[in-house]
Amino acid sequence: MKQRRLHNEGAPGWAIRFFYWYCNDHLCEAVMGDMLELYRRRRSRLGKKRADLLFIFNVLHFLQPFAIRKRSHSTINHIAMFKNYFIIAWRTMSRQKMYTAIKIGGFALGLATCMIIFLFIRHEISYDKYYTDSNRLFRMYNQYKGGDDSGNWTSFPAPVAQILRTDFPDIEKAGRLIPYNWYNAGNNLFRRQDQIESTYEEGFAYADPEIIDILQIPLVYGNPRHALDQPNTIVISKRKADKYFPGEDPVGKTVIFNEDKSRPYTIGGVMKEFPVNSHLQYDFLITLTQEEFWKGEQTSWCCWNYNIYLRLRPDADPAQLEKKLLSVRDTHYVGYLKEMGDKSLEDVRKYHSFRLQPVSDIYLQEEVIWDNLRHGDVRYVWLFGGVAFFILALACINFINLSTAKSANRAKEVGLRKVVGSVRGYLVRQFLTESVLYSLVSFALAIVIVCLAMPYFNGLAGRTLSIPWSAWWLFPLLLLSVLVIGFMAGVYPSFYLSAFKPIDVLKGSISRGTRNSKMRSVMVVFQFTTSIILVIGTFIIYRQMNYILNTKVGFDKEQVIMVQGANTLPNQKTFKDELRKLPGVEDVTVSSYLPVEGTKRDQNSFWREGKSKEEKSIGAQKWYVDEDFIGTMGMKLVAGRNFMQEMASDSQSIIINEAMAKEFGFKNPVGERIMTWEVFTVIGVVEDFNFESMKGEIGPLAFVRGGWGSIAAVKVKTEDMAGMIAQVTNVWDKVMPHQPIRYTFLDESYARMYDDVQRMGQIFASFAVLAIVVACLGLFALSAFMVEQRNKEISIRLVLGASVNSIFRLLTQNFVMLVLISFVVAAPLAWYLMQEWLKDYAYRIDITWDVFALSGLLSVLVALLTVSYQSVRAAMVNPATRLRSE
Amino acid sequence: MQPFPVCRVYLGKGETNTMKGTYIGEFEELVLLTVGILFDDAYGLAIVDELEKQTGRNVMMSAVHKALVRLEDKGYLRSRMGGATETRGGRDKRLYTLTQAGTKVLNQSREMRNSMWKQVPKIVWEGGKI
Repeated sequence: MKQRRLHNEGAPGWAIRFFYWYCNDHLCEAVMGDMLELYRRRRSRLGKKRADLLFIFNVLHFLQPFAIRKRSHSTINHIAMFKNYFIIAWRTMSRQKMYTAIKIGGFALGLATCMIIFLFIRHEISYDKYYTDSNRLFRMYNQYKGGDDSGNWTSFPAPVAQILRTDFPDIEKAGRLIPYNWYNAGNNLFRRQDQIESTYEEGFAYADPEIIDILQIPLVYGNPRHALDQPNTIVISKRKADKYFPGEDPVGKTVIFNEDKSRPYTIGGVMKEFPVNSHLQYDFLITLTQEEFWKGEQTSWCCWNYNIYLRLRPDADPAQLEKKLLSVRDTHYVGYLKEMGDKSLEDVRKYHSFRLQPVSDIYLQEEVIWDNLRHGDVRYVWLFGGVAFFILALACINFINLSTAKSANRAKEVGLRKVVGSVRGYLVRQFLTESVLYSLVSFALAIVIVCLAMPYFNGLAGRTLSIPWSAWWLFPLLLLSVLVIGFMAGVYPSFYLSAFKPIDVLKGSISRGTRNSKMRSVMVVFQFTTSIILVIGTFIIYRQMNYILNTKVGFDKEQVIMVQGANTLPNQKTFKDELRKLPGVEDVTVSSYLPVEGTKRDQNSFWREGKSKEEKSIGAQKWYVDEDFIGTMGMKLVAGRNFMQEMASDSQSIIINEAMAKEFGFKNPVGERIMTWEVFTVIGVVEDFNFESMKGEIGPLAFVRGGWGSIAAVKVKTEDMAGMIAQVTNVWDKVMPHQPIRYTFLDESYARMYDDVQRMGQIFASFAVLAIVVACLGLFALSAFMVEQRNKEISIRLVLGASVNSIFRLLTQNFVMLVLISFVVAAPLAWYLMQEWLKDYAYRIDITWDVFALSGLLSVLVALLTVSYQSVRAAMVNPATRLRSE
Repeated sequence: MQPFPVCRVYLGKGETNTMKGTYIGEFEELVLLTVGILFDDAYGLAIVDELEKQTGRNVMMSAVHKALVRLEDKGYLRSRMGGATETRGGRDKRLYTLTQAGTKVLNQSREMRNSMWKQVPKIVWEGGKI
């Protein structure tokens, strides 16, 4: 019989393939023959282009039921087939326990990381999305853009809210909130009026009655419309109500703050706790109704202390409203500045605007708006997402690498299957089934890992995440991921494996697994590049953290006990004196202001004396301290003198820091006179010290003479801190028998300011370790495979006199090379990324070469260790035992 | 508990065992006739060509193949593979021939038509009016 040669007459190949794919066997060949004949005829008549087009039409015309292949007629057969696939998969899995364990273990690790990060990201973006009118809720903020300084902040003067209510029909409700430590906002000692002992409570904020309505705070007891509309009322959370008024309705009951019996508060309502994913977290809302913090405060534009929340009417356009709000600036604020004769009036007109921010954007805000609230960071969300992706990629690569590397073992199976009639499609399906099976097992394992690791991650990230078992989407999503990821990891190996030609395989001419080693090398390089970047990142973050925590901060934070709640002491002077008498106590100061977060701050405008009309003001902190403050804190005076107890005139004295002296341009600051609304004489200059997080530069700051405050800071010098504290407690209990002492340590509070850096460092370290582990698992398996492949070669070399050393080198140098290449790729990338990260910090380390050297060395060492186990084992074995088998 | 094997008659989809079963559409009839005309070289494209020649209509290849499949299912046609030529990418043709049922159904159709022709009053043909 004459050998027939099939060809395509030059018709578009894809259309032919498509036709063969869908058309049934009965018609397939005959119809294609007809079409090609017609095509040939048409091409000579109409030209190739039109003929092609008509050919494609023809192919599409046959997409009709009579011509389409019936696919469902052999269901039973398929089930049997899949059963067989599973059996084979199970057998391969159990035959090679180590490879299977590595494949599944690595995969599960990667998946678990992804799941945790998925939950984290989901939590971060869920903030403040639960309001029913979410698109109408806004927070106002100030934008100052231009000139030499710019910034955003949320506080407004007291009268603004009322103006908004009356003058702007677009605004349905406006309410004010004071979220930072200010008067009774922040933390207080708290008790029921009918009890004696006070307890320290946190989470107080001042709020207008409207806030309850705007932010849709549900009340358990009390009327939401009237809960805060009487003066001196508060709303407390259910949690606190249960603590102080178990089993009763506390509405109408009276409570005392900070032993201030002259001003009791009445409970107007009990609210449900704020949801975890709310940007506000308070247990006590104190009313602002008729509150006036000092005379004239409520009508004055002097002081900016109120955050404003708005609910717009449904038809209002926020962009339009922002424009209209400028009129508030131009009439009221500029009017006030004019009245005061302030020179900054022009700048305000040019640069200052009132903006609206959707409440749902507050938590993950894109530009920094200073509001003293806890925020998430969009960049971390992205970063974590990226890391999750990469770790998953690493795990998938392991899977692909191992599958293709071990292909030689499957080659015979593939060959035989093909010989007995399996087509490629079936083989692809078989291997995909297998990888989906792997993926399924890995997912199950990953979920177990997530359950175990969740508490650890929650500790690291400071969140309370959990697996949402009851959510309807969980299992469908998991199933989908199993399929998708199983498919992703399996698609390349399955096409690779199913492509073997049976004749080659059965002849034994498939070079055992060495084919495609280039592809594998690229993947190993990718894995190690990712890992090395993470390692370098971790090193740098840790260094930066250490730098911040341990460099000279301008004060001595070691061995300082901060006794909180000193404002309730009947006589602070005697308390101080009593403490001083204790052996080991070096110094005691009382102030509300300390250089750690969570203590009081007071931003003021300073001018040179008499220049308040002509010159721009300088914003500076004004801290009320006593004469022992500088000594207790271990700060250094660089010029002038400290306050003196006996000098009455010191009430008009001021000590400024270097930054402030520089800001004013004083060459010789001592003796200069500066003013706020009163005039001070500079008597000293204190060395700059950090009082905010080190992300920013140290700002101007001034001390004025106080002598009263909420914290007594005790500088001690002792080996026995517990004993010291017992003594201090003793003193406290003598003065305040009904109130337990509450103390913290200055260095711990300081470290807490850098919590997020610390967290970042730890999370990064965990990721780096994970990445390295996954990459090394892959490398370990690859090296084991390599050794297996070269078994005979090694044995012969050994017989011919190769040393263990040379065998070791032979087997490892390749991998070490790959890691070195990865390092070369990773180093500049890591350098760039970390440079970007460090830009956030005003005080930062330089990235030095030793970080790179160290991480490079570390990764090479780890890789070497991983590989060498197999290599050494191979080199040490008696070659005779291996060669004998043949 | 069946004393003797039961013979079942399999019917195609929508087919019933009456006169309706022998019904063929106009296009199908034309295809059957063309197969008859072409005798031993009746395959898809040749049928298309012949149909176009005979009727002067534009004929879709897919329509012809569809009809061929249907007619083979009904048992009026029989097919075999063969007769590959270089001009069709070296592919075989599916060659159709009429079965006995096929010739029978064509005859039936012609006879039915003839009898109906005869029943038309002459006057109709002569163009008379009532």
